[in-house]
Amino acid sequence: MSEVPAPPVGPPPSRRDPDAPRALAPPFVAVVAYTLRACLPAKRWFGVLLPCAGALLFGWLTHVNTDSAEQAFSDVAEAGLFRLILPLTCLIIGDAVLGADVRSGTFPLTWLSPVPFRVIVAGRWLGGWLVALVTLVPAMALAPLIAGVPEAVGPMAIAAAAGAAAYIALFLLVGVLVRRSALWSLAIVLLGEWLLGTTLTGIAQLSPLWEAQQVFAGLWDDGDLLLRSGVAGGNGAIVRLLIITLVGLALAAWRIGRMRPIGGDD
Amino acid sequence: MSAPEPQATPETDPAFVPHPTVEVAGVSVWFGPKVAVTELSCSFGPGVTGLLGPNGAGKTTVMRAICGLLPTDRGAIRVLGRDPRHDRSVQRDISLVPEDDAVPGALTARQLVRYAASLHSVRDPIAPEASLAAVGLLDVADRRVAGFSKGMRQRAKIAASLVTEPKVMVLDEPLNGADPVQRAALIGLFQTLGAQGRTVIISSHVLNEVERLASRQLVVIRGRLAAAGGHRAIRDALADRPRSVLVRTTQPRRLAGDLLASEAVQGVSVDGDKLVISSSHAGDLAELLPVVARRAGARLREVRPLDDSLESVFRELLR
Repeated sequence: MSEVPAPPVGPPPSRRDPDAPRALAPPFVAVVAYTLRACLPAKRWFGVLLPCAGALLFGWLTHVNTDSAEQAFSDVAEAGLFRLILPLTCLIIGDAVLGADVRSGTFPLTWLSPVPFRVIVAGRWLGGWLVALVTLVPAMALAPLIAGVPEAVGPMAIAAAAGAAAYIALFLLVGVLVRRSALWSLAIVLLGEWLLGTTLTGIAQLSPLWEAQQVFAGLWDDGDLLLRSGVAGGNGAIVRLLIITLVGLALAAWRIGRMRPIGGDD
Repeated sequence: MSAPEPQATPETDPAFVPHPTVEVAGVSVWFGPKVAVTELSCSFGPGVTGLLGPNGAGKTTVMRAICGLLPTDRGAIRVLGRDPRHDRSVQRDISLVPEDDAVPGALTARQLVRYAASLHSVRDPIAPEASLAAVGLLDVADRRVAGFSKGMRQRAKIAASLVTEPKVMVLDEPLNGADPVQRAALIGLFQTLGAQGRTVIISSHVLNEVERLASRQLVVIRGRLAAAGGHRAIRDALADRPRSVLVRTTQPRRLAGDLLASEAVQGVSVDGDKLVISSSHAGDLAELLPVVARRAGARLREVRPLDDSLESVFRELLR
């Protein structure tokens, strides 16, 4: 079984060749690398970087506000960074790492392998989160710096990182549940988080948007400007985001084993 | 009480092989109201097997179900004794080359093959290079797949499949888009793989192509197994079916009259300079036609079988 058919165009390089190919990555690393290379092509990167630029713009916008820098930034953080930039950027990333792959029909390449589904899901999520860590998190962390509230940089970075982790897991799950995952993800943000989450504390407790905001509010010294009663802040919110992330990933791994990764028509 | 029906065996039913690696037992698959495969039973063993059928026959569905991509609504599939849908370890031994163009275009051919190798825990870093070489893509291995022609994409997918050293290879229309030279090379490659003892299942809707590739063929029509065996057996099964041949000639009416006198001709219709001849013995007609035309002083401008496409032949098989 180990024989390889005779190559019609020149022999492959030998093992002693100084230009011999490097060692193959283990499956988990390969899935992460695939996510970064194949799931996020140039067009997607543009889609990710655009809202990141918007985050910086929101930082500048605080200077227009005549209130104190802290008050101005808390307004911008609530309305712009947490309601718009964080979910929008994570939606683009979260849809790319799995939903778009399923829709385009390229997911069977990964599905048809002996790699356990949980490893595939974890690798895809990590790939997406890494993208968020190098784009969204720095952009959101720079926003308070631009706004003149440097003490909010750390809390904002932690909130953005934790919020992105939960959001990407959530959108990854949506990607394996429904075909039009981007549309459904947007509906979750607009109807579930914006509309219901604003009025119902129970929904807000399950919402990456609200929990990320509570992380920031709890860790920032002037966070009481943003703190919402009935929803844990600071480290408590981080734990909740972690739970949302883990539950989302576990459900996605379970669902992948039961899905038809490609259309059924012959 | 009636006696139980004897079970099909390789000796009694050409749909089965003596030492199967892939067993399909009474499988039905449907998508909502649409039935894609109906109670299909057959088996595959080492060597190349052609899965023939017109477009929409259910070949792709069968192949996807064999690989575990699709669940079966009825029946069972076993690959090397295991359920491909629920036992992930099967994926170590099976690979699918899908028909569609769904290849991650952002990857280079080398990245694609190395990714497939990594997923299957292939340790030898030379293996991807060997696979790329085997399909003749080594020179363009660092080009993005998005820029490849259809034939090159097919070969990239085949390389990604080869690198995993599968015992069972399922290839859905793998020769689509390949030029004649590539086609010949790929046919040779598949035959080599079959000769190595791998189970190679290749689908196609081109009868001649599969005849060159596979000594054993299964014909699927409308989700059912319509015929099985060697290509001679398949052709024999078709031999007594009426065939239609279009003839353009200078003397259509005279030629029609002379042909009708022959037993090989069942009917002739005339439309301008065209004749449509129905015959149940295509071979006899092929010998008869030039003789009758010469005798009638008719020049033959065109002779073309109207139903030589596999689809029409398959339709005949279904009647």
